[in-house]
This record gives sequence, structure tokens and C-alpha cells, in this order.
Amino acid sequence: MNRARDDILARLDAARTPRVEPPRPPTAPPGMDDPPAFLRARLEEAGGRLQMAAARNWPDEIEWPLDRTAVRHLHSALPIVPSRGLGLDATTDRELDGLEICILRAEFAVAESGAVWQVPSSPRERVAALLAEHLIVVVDATEIVATLHHAYQRIDPARSAFGWFLCGPSKTADIEQSLVLGAHGPRTLDLIVTNA
Amino acid sequence: MGHVERAARFVADPERTRWHDEALWHVRTRRDAAARLVPDWEDLREQAAAIKRHALGRLPELWQAFETNASRAGTIVHWARDAREHNEIVYRLLQERGIRRVVKSKSMLTEECGLNPHLGKRGIEIVDTDLGERIVQLRREAPSHIVMPAIHLRRREIGELFEREMGGPKGIDDPEALTALARRDLRARFLAAEAGLTGVNFAVAETGGFVVVTNEGNADLGTALPDLHIASVGLEKILPKQGDLAPFLRLLARSATGQAMTAYTSHFRGPRPPSPAAPPDRPGSDGRRDPELHIVIVDNGRSRLLGTPAFREALACIRCGACLNTCPVYRRSGGHSYEATIPGPIGSVLETARDSRTHAELPFACSLCGSCSEVCPVRIPLHRQLLAFRESISSDDPHRRLRRWGLDLLGRVMLRPAHYERLGRWGRAFARRLPGTWLEGLLGPWTRHRSLPTLPSRSFRELHRERVKARAAREDGR
Repeated sequence: MNRARDDILARLDAARTPRVEPPRPPTAPPGMDDPPAFLRARLEEAGGRLQMAAARNWPDEIEWPLDRTAVRHLHSALPIVPSRGLGLDATTDRELDGLEICILRAEFAVAESGAVWQVPSSPRERVAALLAEHLIVVVDATEIVATLHHAYQRIDPARSAFGWFLCGPSKTADIEQSLVLGAHGPRTLDLIVTNA
Repeated sequence: MGHVERAARFVADPERTRWHDEALWHVRTRRDAAARLVPDWEDLREQAAAIKRHALGRLPELWQAFETNASRAGTIVHWARDAREHNEIVYRLLQERGIRRVVKSKSMLTEECGLNPHLGKRGIEIVDTDLGERIVQLRREAPSHIVMPAIHLRRREIGELFEREMGGPKGIDDPEALTALARRDLRARFLAAEAGLTGVNFAVAETGGFVVVTNEGNADLGTALPDLHIASVGLEKILPKQGDLAPFLRLLARSATGQAMTAYTSHFRGPRPPSPAAPPDRPGSDGRRDPELHIVIVDNGRSRLLGTPAFREALACIRCGACLNTCPVYRRSGGHSYEATIPGPIGSVLETARDSRTHAELPFACSLCGSCSEVCPVRIPLHRQLLAFRESISSDDPHRRLRRWGLDLLGRVMLRPAHYERLGRWGRAFARRLPGTWLEGLLGPWTRHRSLPTLPSRSFRELHRERVKARAAREDGR
């Protein structure tokens, strides 16, 4: 198989184009006036919902996607809401199918993109975020950056094997361009922006 | 059958054509609105184009750096010179592990390589998980758009398909209900899959990682559960640094669908750690083995394109589909009329560069309006490349001598005013006796839907002479 590698590299060498200097490193564009408002607008366009709440007791302040008291299966990465049902008992990742709510913490939000950067603390957390019907993501109000340029200045690629930007719930428009939320993953995404 | 004939089949349904045209134009207007919200949009396009120019100039170094960094993170790197090698590598990885059930998220590269039939013939069940791709897979046809694979179909057709293939209720055609049906069907397949295949949107040399974007989350569901993830990547997809992702990700979704960002933008770097919660007698998340991540780097003609200065720029393409959505020919003729893995303006360039004999017609499926070049997020001069193809294709046109002879004759007639006038008189008299549709199809497709205007009985010169004579007569009469 190394023959293939050497062949390809040789072909690329033979086809070498005139050297072009790297462009100036992307300069981060100027920040924006009101990042939280921008974040809310973009997130709502993406089918998500933004709620502001106090860090101390956000679970009591927000509007939940389901009747909170009736939720049986919940996976939570935050101690303020304890996991229960499948979120607690599942022995394999596949058993998380049937999860009603998954709660995650994001490192920061990107206003211009309506997205959050999230690094699952375990492979299971990622599976929970995909199989749950509803996703709740919590981010600190002080952790909102303007654009993806600012975002990548904060992302350390060596930290983890996996990380993702999430922007609204799973969605599709593959049938006559009509938007449907909940294509494969969560049907709703609530972004909780918490203040101290 | 050529592009014109295949397009004729598409436009035979005027209602479908109108809908297709309007739906895609609507996506184009959403793209415009999204771009207007980004103050430095044009700078971004220039920056992205510059990064690609730079990267394409040093592919050997970048891929070697990628290989080193990816291996360090635990990813296993494979190289494939062509489609056959790619398919064999993927098959071998599956076969060695006794894997029969595979889910795949959208990858134009695996379409190009014909991976599905290759695996299917060898007894592996491969399920496309992007909803649009699943629809065309069940219909046994190719995607007609690179971002919206089933854009050529109406909801009723999809309803009938799901009724047949997924046991859906009769007469179902509501997109919400249809999607729910597919979600249930595919969820079971995700849970049962033993391997997940994906494409790659961007590979990053500096980190040895790569990024896959989807709206549905299917690439994530397909790779979060099974222990084997195989990603296929074309040689052109590499970026030098992680920070280079920023301009591309700001451009990609906005150009593709008018979204600020796709729902899932996943960064992979090395296999995931084994699931710690698995009981000790069942290692790995599904009790079999430690998770593995493989990446197959594919040439399949790309290095040749790189060596062709005129078409090298097309390798900068990030597959957003904006040029398809804006193209007046694509919108009205449908993706299948191109009979190519990638349709539309970028497809006409890439496919013709790959095989100019088979696709000789595609550069002519273009009005040269230049809209594609205007919307391209990496500023590929698509319409100019199509024009360049026309020149090189026309130079070996079989009708060249006939054309030459016709033009010579015309030149000789034009040089002799008396001949010109006499021939004109004869021609008019003759043409007026023919049925109005005489030109139809006479000179190939170009004249199929065109007819000459009714010819006047007298030429301009004759009319002018009469007028001069009449005036002279009037003046004489005074």
C-alpha cells in the first residue's frame, strides 16, 4: 500500500504548482455591538431557542421542552440536574435510545454563527446528545465570542479526540425543501445563557 | 443520449420544472441574505481562495504532515491512487472485521468511486443515512444535487416510495410525517450498524484532524456508536492550519443553504476512547473491540487535474452547491441531465476535465451568464473555465470542415453585392413557400425550438430604392 502513497506523492510533486505564499493569517473581523442579540437571532433561525437565566437556579427559571416533573429518562452533565432513568442505568451506549432529555455544558458560544462549541466529556455524552429527543445546552454569558475566527483562537485541538459546533436541533429539508426539525437527532435545542 | 435529450425528459413535466427552478432560486436568495449579514463577505472569499491556492501549491508537504499528525493521534492513514483501490481498502477493513452492516453519511467522493455497488456486490449492507440520499438510494438512482440529493422529486413520489419501502400509510405526503417515518427506520439501522463511513469536508495538516458537517446529525450518529469509522477524503480537501477553518466554515453553510452554520460541525482527531462504562467482560462500547478511526486519502485523477493549469482552480471547490442553485441551465434541466457524479457548473468543469470525450457536451450546457463565478465562495472562475473547454473541444469538432466550407461560401457571396442581392431574392421566395417550422431540428438541437421570423417579400435595399424613387417623383411633380 505504500506504493500507492509514494506514487501519489510523486504525482503531486510532478504537478507542483508555482509556490504561492500563505495568505496573511485570517485577521479576526471586528467584534459586534450586541453579541447576545446576534446569537439569539441566528440560533432562532436555526430552529433553536435561547433563554437567559441565573447560573444558581436556571433549572427553575427556564421553560423546559417537556414537563420537567414527568421526564423519566434524562442524561445530565451538570450536577445541578441529576441524571435519571436510562441516563443513569444504561450499561451500553445503545441503550440510551429512548432518552428524553440530554443536558450539556458548552465552552462558549459564537454569536455570528448561532452556535456553541462543545467537547463531550466522554463518548457516552456524545451518544446521549444524539439519541435524546431534546437537547439543553448551558453556556456562561461571559463566554460569547463574535465569530469563528475568535472561536478557533480558543480551541486547543490536542485536548480531545472529538469536539463539535452545535447550531440548533438536527434538521432536514430534503423533502421539497420544507424544513423539519428532528431529522435523526434532537427535535429541539434550548441554549441556556447563564448569568452569575 | 446527450444533455439536451436528458434535459428534454426532465422538462417534459412543466410543473416539476417550474417547482425545481423556483425552489433552487429561493435557496439562492437565502444565500444572498445570509451573505449580506457578514460585513467582510468579499474579504472572506478572497481569503478562502488564497488559502486554497497556497494549499494546492504544497499538497505533498501538507499530506505528509497530516499523515504524521493523524498517526500520532491514533488514526490509521491509507492511500488510494484510484477508485478501485479506495473501494478495496474500505472493503478489506470491513471484511477483516467480519462487518456486514454499514451506515454512510453523504460523501460525493464515495459516489464518484462507486463504493455502494462495490460493497453491495460483496454482501455488505450499506445504508445511506442522509434523508435525501436514502431516498435516491431506495429509488436506485443517483443524487441530482450535491447538497439536496432528492431535489428533483416531489413529496407524493417520496410518499409512494416510503409506503413501499418503509411500510408507510397510503397516500402519505406530508414532509413532517415522511421525515418521522424515515427517522424511525434509520434509527434502528444506526443502532445496528457495525461501521460508519463518512466523507470529509476539511482535513487539517497541522492537527491531523478533519471536519465533517451535516444538518441531520447523521455523520455523528453513524460514527458515535459503531467501533469502526472510515473517512474518505479527496486530495484537494486539505488546509494547512486549524485557524484556516474559520473563513471556510463562515462561507460554507451560507453559500450552500443560507444558514449561518450547519447544525453539526464535527471535529475528529483520532479514534474515540473506549467506553469506560462497558462491563469488563464486554470491552468496547458494543462488546467487541476498541474504537478505530481510518482515513483513506484518494487521488482518482486529482493529481492530473492539478497539473492542468487551466483547471487547477476547480480543485479549490468546497462542494457547497451555490453554483448549481444559481445556474439557469441547472435549475431548468435537473441534475440527472448532466449524467455525472457532480452536476451543474462545477460538475461540468470537473467531469469534463476528468474525461472530455464522455462529457464533451457539458461545457455547452451553459449560457455563460457568469452567475456561478459570482456566487462561488472560493472564487473559481467557473464560466471562464467552461469557455476554455469549449475552445479545446471545438478544435476537434468533426463538422469543422463543413463549417469552414459554409463560411467560405458565405464570404464569397458577401463580397459580391449583385450575387448577394440575387441570392437573397431567391432565398426569400423559396423560404416563404416552406412551412413555418422548416428550420426545426435542421441544424441540431440549437434550431429545435427556434424558427425564423416570417421573411418579408422585399429586402431593405429594394424598399429603400423604391422610397428614393418615390420621393424623386414627388419632387419632380412640384
